[in-house]
Amino acid sequence: MLFRSRLQLLLLMSPATLLLAMLTLYPISQILINAFSYVDYVGAERQFVGMDNFVELSEDWFFAGAIKNSLSFSVLASLLQVGLGLALAVLFDRQFAGRRFALPVIIYPMMLSTLVCSAIWRAWYHYDFGFLNNALLSLGLEPVQWLFDPDMALFSVMLVDIWQWTPMAFLIILAGLQSIPADIKDAALTDGARGWRRFRHITLPLIMPQVLLALLLRSIDTFKLFDKVYALTGGGPGNSTETLSLFIYKQGFKFFNLGLASAAALLMLAIACALSAVYAWRYVGAKS
Amino acid sequence: MLSRSALSLALTASLTLGAAGANAADLVIAGRDGIYGQALDATVARYKEAHPDMDIELLKLPYGSLYEKLVISLREKSGAYDLVLLDDTWATEFMSNGWLANLEEQGKITGDFIAATLDISRYPVAQGPAYSLPVVGNVAMFAYNQALFDQYGLSKPANWDAVKVAAKTISAKNPDTSGVVFRGQKGNPIVTGFLPLFWAHGGVIVDDAGKPQVNSAQGVQALESFLELKQYAPKGIEVYNSTEVRDAIQQRKTAIAIEVWPSWAPSMDDPSQSKVVQEMQVIAAPGQVNGSSPMLGIWQMGVTADAKHDKNARDFLNYLTSAENQKTLALELGLPPTRRSVYTDKDVVAKYRWYPNQLEALEHGKARPRIKQWNEVESILGDYLQLAMIGQMDARTALDQANRKIDRALKR
Repeated sequence: MLFRSRLQLLLLMSPATLLLAMLTLYPISQILINAFSYVDYVGAERQFVGMDNFVELSEDWFFAGAIKNSLSFSVLASLLQVGLGLALAVLFDRQFAGRRFALPVIIYPMMLSTLVCSAIWRAWYHYDFGFLNNALLSLGLEPVQWLFDPDMALFSVMLVDIWQWTPMAFLIILAGLQSIPADIKDAALTDGARGWRRFRHITLPLIMPQVLLALLLRSIDTFKLFDKVYALTGGGPGNSTETLSLFIYKQGFKFFNLGLASAAALLMLAIACALSAVYAWRYVGAKS
Repeated sequence: MLSRSALSLALTASLTLGAAGANAADLVIAGRDGIYGQALDATVARYKEAHPDMDIELLKLPYGSLYEKLVISLREKSGAYDLVLLDDTWATEFMSNGWLANLEEQGKITGDFIAATLDISRYPVAQGPAYSLPVVGNVAMFAYNQALFDQYGLSKPANWDAVKVAAKTISAKNPDTSGVVFRGQKGNPIVTGFLPLFWAHGGVIVDDAGKPQVNSAQGVQALESFLELKQYAPKGIEVYNSTEVRDAIQQRKTAIAIEVWPSWAPSMDDPSQSKVVQEMQVIAAPGQVNGSSPMLGIWQMGVTADAKHDKNARDFLNYLTSAENQKTLALELGLPPTRRSVYTDKDVVAKYRWYPNQLEALEHGKARPRIKQWNEVESILGDYLQLAMIGQMDARTALDQANRKIDRALKR
């Protein structure tokens, strides 16, 4: 046994536990208190207001829009990223000419900073001079209002996220595929399972934990979406790309409405926990 | 292994060095990036020639980051900064919270500062003592392409109705040129573009009693005019910011820009960047029911109430805002001055032909409401202006909802 006693284990773990508690429990407790208070940031005064902050949020059209945008973005973007990542992983699980060179190219966007990605895509999305609209025009198609059509803007931001983060899902799933023992693949072939049937009944169940892990990680990350929206659209046009993170940032750091920002953060935490619980439950279920 | 005394010595030495490091500078200035940062850099370099032993630390921060850092630092009374650069909309918050030192406690401010620019350095506005000095004489100007106006027989627009007629005429006759351009991006850009039109139509954001009035009949009429102008603006105006507006002017893709800032103007006459050299007329925005109401965007600098180097800070501030330094900054960088004498200086006018108009605009300039919550009010108004612009709400509904939300924010 690595440790002589349970006490020794607890003693060794206590500094890290204490640090973690300070860095997580303290801020969460402050958010809990602030969410039910009016906080005068300058005077550092706090006044208990009960549910007022939540009532104000429930009447706020922009907050409702932010929840809708965050949820739609998270669900759609993470599903698309994992779906594409799975397709790529299946492709790269085989040997083909140029595989060694294609792999770094696919992973490359993940290595760029989000602000750089956003700057690149902002130029590509430009209505008059952007590469995407020029490509459409050369094909005889109409240019698209990528960032200033309220019905299109969220999908345009999503496209950037898919471009940048599909490689992450791809790598997780590829690791899963390559960890399948060769004898299972051989046995399946011997039994006559080929193509789609082998993928559907043998491969997919075996890599399901990796697929769910990729979904969990991507949905948590996409739910927090802030930087791309901040850099590409600022939440507009209208409120079509305003996410919960952006809403909270504005309330907390631009207007210093700490009570309202804390209440919104608490609701965001609750939604994120619920979202994660669905995947975690499926993941545990898949493992068991 | 270190002995106990050696360890104590090392700790003491590191703490002493650390403390010395923290207080090393004789003056700490928190300023902006971009052209304002260049102006501060140049001024610091010149000031240090006369004060070679002085160690000056200059921070150059982006707009949002500067505000956040200043609020947190001044609220905590950390004494981190001696001099702080402020957007005029932050002034009420900073001055009313006692974060800035009274600059007139040792005597009145002297010099030929343009009255409107110094008024907003005072708290209460225009009446109380000065808590800052105006550093950058920013004012929203209006620009039109004289060559295109001549081509289509149009004269200088006398009011906003004439602007609409000119924009309509040019965009109808010249499909490659939009009639008008402005910043449509939500938040500060769209509000800044809208305010001269709103004020000229008689709109009021907050009345004397502190009640929001953005949805008055005049306000709605102003927004309807603004939405009408959108018909003659380029596609995608909803996400236009300064870069797009400047490009549209310089590439001769627009006939009118309802908002041009002094820092953008010099590049219009630069043949390496512009196709409209000497074609643009830069004037004060037109009036309508009220006279011309250009929006002031004065950057000010104040000495913090918790400054560790108060004397050095006041001395540097006086140097920064001196007529001599302002003239140099105007000639070298195009930084708009805040002193009348610099606007009438023959060298400066020879370089910037529109400076007499800019002086007139500054004299008639209108400041945004002096309320602590301006940041939030501006954001709310910007959100609803854009909802109207993208057609999700009509002008009346958008301003009614904005008014209700502003009212709530002001009561908070």
